[in-house]
Amino acid sequence: MPEETTVHLPAIEKHIEHLHQGFDYWPTLENGTPPAMGDYRWPAEMILSTWYQAGTREPPDNELEYRTGDSGGGFDKLDFKFLPKEQQLPPETDIDLAIPLNRRGGHGPASGVDREIEISLPWYGGGMSFGSVSEQVMLARAMTAKEWGTFTSTGEGGFPDSLVKYKDHIITQIATGMFGVSEETIQHAPIIEFKYAQGAKPGLGGHLLGDKTTVTVAKMRESVPWVSLFSPFPFHSVYSVEDHRKHVDWVKTINPEALVSVKVSTPTDVDMVAVGSYYAGAHIVHLDGSYGGTGAAPEIAKKNIAMPIEFAIPKVHKYLLGENIRDEITVMASGGVRTVYDIAKAIALGADGVVLGTAELIAMGCTRCSNCERGRGCPFGLTTTDPELSLLIKPEWGAQRISNLNASYAKQLRDILRRLGLKNIRDLRGRTDLLIYKR
Amino acid sequence: MPTNNSYQRYHIDTKPSPDFVLWPNRFVVNVNRFQLAKLLITEIIHQRGDMKAVTSRPCMYGTFSGPIGGFAPRPQHCVGCLRCTTQHPEAVRILRNPDRERLGDSYFTSNYVGAVAYEAETGSIPVKGAGYRGKFGGAGWDGMWTDMSEIVRPTRDGIHGREFISTVVDIGEKPSYLVFDEDGGLASAQPRTLSIPVPFIYDAPPKSAESETLYEILASAAEETQTLAVIPVASCRFQVTSVVPFIKLGEESQLENLGFTPKMIEIDDAQSPTPNIQSLISNLQSQFPDTIIALRLEYPEADTLLEFYENGVRVFHLIADFHGRGNDGTPVMDLIRQAHMTFVEAGVRDEVTLIGSGGIIAAEHVPKAIITGLDLVALDTPLLTALQTQFEGDCADREASQFNMPANIPLDWGVQRLKNLTATWRDQLLEILGAMGLREVRRLRGEMGRAMFQVDLEREAFAEIEGY
Ligand code: SF4
Repeated sequence: MPEETTVHLPAIEKHIEHLHQGFDYWPTLENGTPPAMGDYRWPAEMILSTWYQAGTREPPDNELEYRTGDSGGGFDKLDFKFLPKEQQLPPETDIDLAIPLNRRGGHGPASGVDREIEISLPWYGGGMSFGSVSEQVMLARAMTAKEWGTFTSTGEGGFPDSLVKYKDHIITQIATGMFGVSEETIQHAPIIEFKYAQGAKPGLGGHLLGDKTTVTVAKMRESVPWVSLFSPFPFHSVYSVEDHRKHVDWVKTINPEALVSVKVSTPTDVDMVAVGSYYAGAHIVHLDGSYGGTGAAPEIAKKNIAMPIEFAIPKVHKYLLGENIRDEITVMASGGVRTVYDIAKAIALGADGVVLGTAELIAMGCTRCSNCERGRGCPFGLTTTDPELSLLIKPEWGAQRISNLNASYAKQLRDILRRLGLKNIRDLRGRTDLLIYKR
Repeated sequence: MPTNNSYQRYHIDTKPSPDFVLWPNRFVVNVNRFQLAKLLITEIIHQRGDMKAVTSRPCMYGTFSGPIGGFAPRPQHCVGCLRCTTQHPEAVRILRNPDRERLGDSYFTSNYVGAVAYEAETGSIPVKGAGYRGKFGGAGWDGMWTDMSEIVRPTRDGIHGREFISTVVDIGEKPSYLVFDEDGGLASAQPRTLSIPVPFIYDAPPKSAESETLYEILASAAEETQTLAVIPVASCRFQVTSVVPFIKLGEESQLENLGFTPKMIEIDDAQSPTPNIQSLISNLQSQFPDTIIALRLEYPEADTLLEFYENGVRVFHLIADFHGRGNDGTPVMDLIRQAHMTFVEAGVRDEVTLIGSGGIIAAEHVPKAIITGLDLVALDTPLLTALQTQFEGDCADREASQFNMPANIPLDWGVQRLKNLTATWRDQLLEILGAMGLREVRRLRGEMGRAMFQVDLEREAFAEIEGY
C-alpha cells in the first residue's frame, strides 16, 4: 500500500506558479521549443500551440504550426480546398456550430420519449475515469462542459459527489467492469454510453493499476483499495445485436429519456457494427480509432490493432447512407483528433462531430510524455490519484484552460466554414469534395 | 477416479534481468548552475525561509535528488516528463540523448531497440499512456493493422487465466490424408511432426556475434522455453534436444558426433534442388528417420519451392536480410505472401511448414508475419539486441554485418533475458489473438482477411478526394 504523502501546500503553490509561467512562456518560442518534446503525431509545436490557445482563446500569432502534425498520413495528408477570397462568406456571417445528438426524434424504438439534445459545439469530452484521472481533472472538464452546453464522460469509474451538480452535462459510461455504475448514476445521465471497446486498446478491456486504486477510487468502484482492476473484454452478456438491445432496454427502463451512445473500436466491419448499433436503438455511435486515447495501453495495441479513425469515418458514413439511416444516427469520432483542423476534416469525412480527450489534457499541461502509469502517476497532476500531485490542477484553472481552447477552436472552425462558404457545421458533413489529398 | 496429471499449462518464468552493460541514458539533463543558484536565492526570499517549500523539487523520479540536488543531476533517472524544463525553462533543458538514438541501425532503430531491451529486462510488455506517437503508417509491417472483434470474443479471458488461447505450432510433414492397408494398419509413412508452444524459434547468430557462450545461451533458453535453437553443427556441443543443427553440404559427417538425435536438422544454402542436395536429404532421412529435415534458403522463386515440394521437402526456413528484404530488395512481407500463395495455389499449403527470418524485430511483426503466411518465425537480431549487442553501422547483410556482443556476459543472465523476451512476445501475441477473437495461433496463418492494409484502406476512404 503506498505511503501517505504529506502535502506541503506552499510547495504545491510554488510549483503551480512556476508551471503556469512555463505554459505561457514556451509557446512564445523565445527559447525555441523544448528539445525533447513532441512526436510524429503531436509535434512540439502542436503541443505548444494548444498551450497557447488554452492561455489566450486565440490561435497562435507566431510561427507555431497549429493545424497539422508530422505523422505523414491520415489527417496530416488532408487539407481544405478553400474558396477564392471573393467567394468566401463575409467575416460577420453568423455561423452555426451546433449539432443535435438525437436524430431519431422523440420516439426512439427503445423508449417512450427520448430527450432532444443539441450541443453548441460539434464535440464533447471523452471518457476518462475517476482513478485514471484525478477528481480535479474530472471537475475541470465538467465545468467546461456546462459552460459550453456540451458534455464530458465519466469513463468507467463512477461519479464523484462533486460532479453531481454538473450531471446534466455528464455522460455516464457503462463498460464491462460496470465500475461505478448504479441505478443512480444511470438516472443522473442525459446520455448513457456503452463502451464496447476503446481505440487505444481495442479488444483488450481496461486496467487500473493497484497504485491508482486509492481508498476513494475503490469506494466509487465498489472494489478493494490498492488492488488492480480489470475491465474484461468483451461484455460477456453481449454476443449479438439482440443482446445489445437488451442492454439498451435495461438502461431505458431505469432512465427512459436517456440517449444511448455506443462506443466501439474500428475493426474491418466497423460499418456493420454501426448499423447494428442503430438497430439496437443507439442514438449515437461513437467510433474510437486506434491512434488516440489518454489511458495506459499496451504499445502493441495502439499501433497495430484496428484501423485509424480517418479510414473508419468514411466507411461508416457511406454505409449508413447506403442503408438510408444516416440521418437517424449521430456519428461521433475520436482517437487521434488533435486540432480544430482535424475536427473539421473528421466532419468532412462523414462524422457529425468528434470526441476530445488528449487535447483537453494538453490544454491543462500534458506534455505527452507517456509516463501516466509510472510511479505516482502524471507529474503534472492529470492522470494521477496521488493526493499531492493532483493538487497541481485547480479545477477552476483547468476549466478555464479547456474553455479557452474551446473558444479558439470555435473561432477557427467558424473561419474554416466561412472560407468554405458554409453557414452551418452540419453542411460540412461528408463533403469530401472540399478536401484535398496532399501527395 | 483416475486423474490425468500430464497436462501442464505452458508458462515461462520471467524475472527482472537488469542491463549487464551500461547503455546511454535516454535523456541528457542540462542544468544552468548560475540560473539554478539564482532561482534558489529568489525562492528563499519568496518563500520566506520555508526550506521545505524551497527545496521541494519538480522531479518525482529522483533526477535532482542527489546530495547537491540540481547542481549534480542524475540523468539516469530522467524519464523525459519535461516537468522541470516546463516550470524552469531558464535553469533546465532536457534533450534526447544522441548516443541512445544511435543504438541499433537504420532498420532496427533505437525505438525498437528500446522496446526489445525493456522486454528482455523486465519480462513485461511495454505499456504507456497518451496514445500512439509514431508515423501514421508506412511500408511493410507499418502499413498493416490487425482486426479486432467487437463482441464475438470468447477468448480474451485466456490472457488472465480463465480460458486458453493456444500459441502452439506444428513443424514438419502434415499430409492431407493417411493411407491404411486392408487390416486397418497404417500403410503410409508416419508423418514426422513436432509441436512447439510458441510460434518462434531462435535462429543461428551471424558470424560476427558467434561465441560459445552465445550458443549456450540460445540452447539453454530454447530448452527452457521449449522451443528450438538453430546452431551450426560444429558448435552443437550441448546435448539438448532443443538444438537444431544446421549444416552445409559436406558437413554431414559432423552430425555423427552430436550425441543426441535432433528433432530437426536444417540444411543451409540449399538454393535449388540439385542432385547433391537431394541425395543429402535422403541420406539424412535414412540416418535420422524420426528427424525433420528442413531447408534453409533465401526466398526462392515459386517454381523452386514447388520443385522442392515435389522432391519431398516439407519444411522451409526462408531467409531475408536483417532489414527484411529479399535479394532484389523486395520487402519480406511480399516475399512471405508469395511463398504462402505458391503453396495455396498448388493446393498443398497445409502440408508444408514455412519458417521465416529477417526483418522481424518487434513483437507485432510475429502475428503480422503469420497473417501474411508464415507458420512461425525464427528470431535473429532481436535476440542479439536482448543481449545488448551493439550494431556496427548498418547491419542488413547476413554475412558481412558486424555485431559486437558484450564481453563476458553470464550464462544465467543471457538465458533469463531471452526467456523474458520470449514471454513478452508471446503475451503480446495473445493480446492480438485475443482482440481478434482467435483461439489459436494456427488459425491466424494466412488470415489476410483479418488484416487491413494501408493501401486498401486509403483507397477506400480517400479515392474520391482530389489529389489522391
Ligand atoms: S504523464 Fe505525461 S502523458 Fe500522461 S497525462 Fe501526464 S503529462 Fe500527459
